[in-house]
Amino acid sequence: MSEKRKETKEQKEKRGGPIKVSRRDFLKGMGTTAIAATITPLPSASQAEAAVPSGVKEAVIQLNVNAKAYRLKVKSHWTLLDVLRKELGLTGAKKFCDRGSCGACTVIMEGKAVYACSRLAIEADNKKIVTIEGLTDGEKLHPIQEVFVKHDGFQCGFCTSGQIMSVKALLDINPRPSVAEMKEALSGNICRCSAYPKILESAMAASQKG
Amino acid sequence: MNEKFKIIGKRQPKVDAWERVSGKAKYASDIYLPGMLYARILRSPYPHAKVVKIDLEKAKALPGVKAILTFKDMPSFRWHADMPILTDIARFEGDDIAVVAAVDEERAREAIELIKVDYEVLPFVLDPEDAMKPEAPKIHPQGNIIGGTPLLLERGDIEKGFKEADLVYENSYRTSLLQHVTSEPRVCVADWRGGKLTVWDSLQYTFGPQPGLAKALNIPMSKVRVISEFMGGGFGDKSTAERYNVLAALLSKKVGLPVKIEFDREENFLATHHRYPTVFYFKYGVKKDGTLTSIYAKVIADMGAYAHFAGAGGCMETIKSVYRCPNVKVEGYSIYTNKPEGGFMRCVGHPMPQFAQEVHMDVMAEKLGMDPVDFRLRNYARLEDGDQDRKFPFTSNGMEECIKKGAEAIGWKQRWQKSNSSPGPVKKGLGMAIHACRHGSMTEPSSGMVRINADGTVNVLTGTADIGGGQKGTMAMIAAEELGVPLDAVSITSADTEVTTDTGGTNGSRQTMTGGNGIRLAAADAKKQLLEIAAKELKTSQDNLEIRDGKVYPLNSDQGISLEDLLKKAPATIVGRGIGRIPQGKIIHTFAAHFAEVEIDIRSGKVKVVKLVAAHDVGRAINLMALENQIAGGAIQGMGFGLMEDQILDRNSGVCVNPNLVDYKLFTIKDIPEILPIVIESNDPYGPFGAKGVGEPPYSVPAPAITNAIYNAIGVRFNRIPITSRLVLEGLKGLKA
Repeated sequence: MSEKRKETKEQKEKRGGPIKVSRRDFLKGMGTTAIAATITPLPSASQAEAAVPSGVKEAVIQLNVNAKAYRLKVKSHWTLLDVLRKELGLTGAKKFCDRGSCGACTVIMEGKAVYACSRLAIEADNKKIVTIEGLTDGEKLHPIQEVFVKHDGFQCGFCTSGQIMSVKALLDINPRPSVAEMKEALSGNICRCSAYPKILESAMAASQKG
Repeated sequence: MNEKFKIIGKRQPKVDAWERVSGKAKYASDIYLPGMLYARILRSPYPHAKVVKIDLEKAKALPGVKAILTFKDMPSFRWHADMPILTDIARFEGDDIAVVAAVDEERAREAIELIKVDYEVLPFVLDPEDAMKPEAPKIHPQGNIIGGTPLLLERGDIEKGFKEADLVYENSYRTSLLQHVTSEPRVCVADWRGGKLTVWDSLQYTFGPQPGLAKALNIPMSKVRVISEFMGGGFGDKSTAERYNVLAALLSKKVGLPVKIEFDREENFLATHHRYPTVFYFKYGVKKDGTLTSIYAKVIADMGAYAHFAGAGGCMETIKSVYRCPNVKVEGYSIYTNKPEGGFMRCVGHPMPQFAQEVHMDVMAEKLGMDPVDFRLRNYARLEDGDQDRKFPFTSNGMEECIKKGAEAIGWKQRWQKSNSSPGPVKKGLGMAIHACRHGSMTEPSSGMVRINADGTVNVLTGTADIGGGQKGTMAMIAAEELGVPLDAVSITSADTEVTTDTGGTNGSRQTMTGGNGIRLAAADAKKQLLEIAAKELKTSQDNLEIRDGKVYPLNSDQGISLEDLLKKAPATIVGRGIGRIPQGKIIHTFAAHFAEVEIDIRSGKVKVVKLVAAHDVGRAINLMALENQIAGGAIQGMGFGLMEDQILDRNSGVCVNPNLVDYKLFTIKDIPEILPIVIESNDPYGPFGAKGVGEPPYSVPAPAITNAIYNAIGVRFNRIPITSRLVLEGLKGLKA
């Protein structure tokens, strides 16, 4: 169900390849684009005054995160996780291992749970992404988040965003999973506090809610 | 659960659950400040080397690099007793040589690469027993035995005890090097501005870095603010102030911008605290009837390159205290090696000797022809035994109930059979172990503050860092129960040196009793002030009043006055203050017994834990749901200690070969057995509402219980952990040979 989005001519030109866009031009461009673009006021590496290290390419990409479109200039080697956290201020996805082996950075991209640390931001161009921040409706928690509260499905909470996103990704395609299927879906999410029994209890309660 | 309590003992969601499940909680690693620099530490690639020359020119010339510090720029004092802040002698792979602050992480990494260091590589030693030899390379000038001589604990006369014994059994045991693998790595944001330093850090002890930072920056403590409201796992690693705190602070002061130091996962494996490897030599004497007569133990604790403390000391405690024994001698050697720093890790000092002791006891029970459960029941230290050296009784002791209820839950009497008696390639076995220690008791400082607002709601202010155990909720529940207000009338502010009081670290399982007593006393103090006003208003004595559901009532009356109305008569805001003191002449311990059921496939050597029963004397359950979560979490980590976790250093190079989550194995959701927590409430007279702590003891018991269950299944005794599939297969081969 991937949304095919029409690229503007300008976007087509800017995608890929080394492009020379000054930050001012870039921000100026933001105002005229038809996309409901949001730029967070966070400081970022892209504001750094220093020259870009040699060999590093830049690209302008569009990320559709939590139903909001963002156009931003990224370096070609930046991970999706770093862009979410540093550029967009969405710090719910965590950096635990940064090597695709813990799951704390799990987000849903085009309907699938992915490790945001193991995707380049440029790979996510024009993709639909949901992070933990996209689950709440204002202050109101998503039903999966509610059951994690009710069943104490976490301890320190650092891996919790990833756990919840993995549960959501499964329930979106399989609303009544077996315990084995749920365990499989969560097997890539390490909880060092080892709140696993209560995580499983929460996740299964979430599945029965649907 | 006790009927007389309104809030204590209930199953309560965590008070900060909304922040934690919504992704909105700001952990220290989530702090990004305008203009913030990123710092990175240059680490030694060698386990032992002297820095001959550092050339910073190329790194300094890199655009975006704002500051570089080496050992030459450091304040003269040592961080811990033996540890420079930055060093010119690397004592382990990963030791801190220099630090760079740059405009982004990439620039900081690139600058680190551009620093040219000439090292004189020195001979290194990894094995603690090798390090004790006179010819071993010296890691510190004072020699490799920390303190110069062994620690010695002695009571009675062990030789007399061995003479009385019908059986004397000797063996040696080893445990491996473990890392905490906190999910949030070590991270610190330091922001120096206008002569004041603000630090966000992922800490168990918020007040910990304050004195050291003040000293290093030469400013008063009032100008150092440390915040650790949310932190992603500690397990002991974040118990103390560390070098990276002061590096971030020095850099921030130097450049006048906020500075963030965030370890990557590999650094977290190499350059943080570790559970130190240990070696034990045991000789125990026992009579035919199963009575212990003598314990001799030699403990060797491999503390790595630096030592906050003599780690052997912690290991000696359970050897002398879990069992009643009149004749004990324990010698403890804490040794420097060129390994990462040994430090605090969950139930520090105890899981290693308990592995050894409980396996040792299991062997002796078998040699005596006794049921291991009966053998433990015969010898465990009773209420009156307490501290057997100082002759102090325990304040409470639920050990017998832990053993009996645990045995019943696993079906020990019906199901425990002699070793290696199940047919087929998948062998089943049961095993058990016990544990008792001071973790979960109270230590000073214990403090708390409670403020009553004009509308009768309550703000609890505590220095206690909530590290995932639900400590904030524990404090809120204690305050609400004591004050007689609903839980939702209580808000809590924690772990901020500017607005809370120092109540020590969230370590040693101490906050329920320690922070909890501070808060209970603070709430009682506030309540007394409320009742003084109420007594005047209602023209009665304070003794004749109680607070229920946020209203003050005369006893046996339904005519109450709301706190809001009462507070209109208060001359000023009511602030309650509490200071808890440890009991004198008595000793507080927590108690536990675990029972493990395993299945071992003798074709693959795979050990599957099927069920773990974890019975714990917690004094009183405050939040039953958080308590079950703690017991299970601790037990699962303890299973990892027994079956999986091992940080391996290459013996030829001294370099770690598995500093990542792929090669350093952790339990996942697919590996966990059924865990049955059993809560024993011994109602400790010194705990808040009778409660003791429980964060750590669950870690110390599964490894020996599982090791004993493995023996019960396949007839092979293991005296080192982790027991990997390979070790099982080797053991089975040895059995055949």
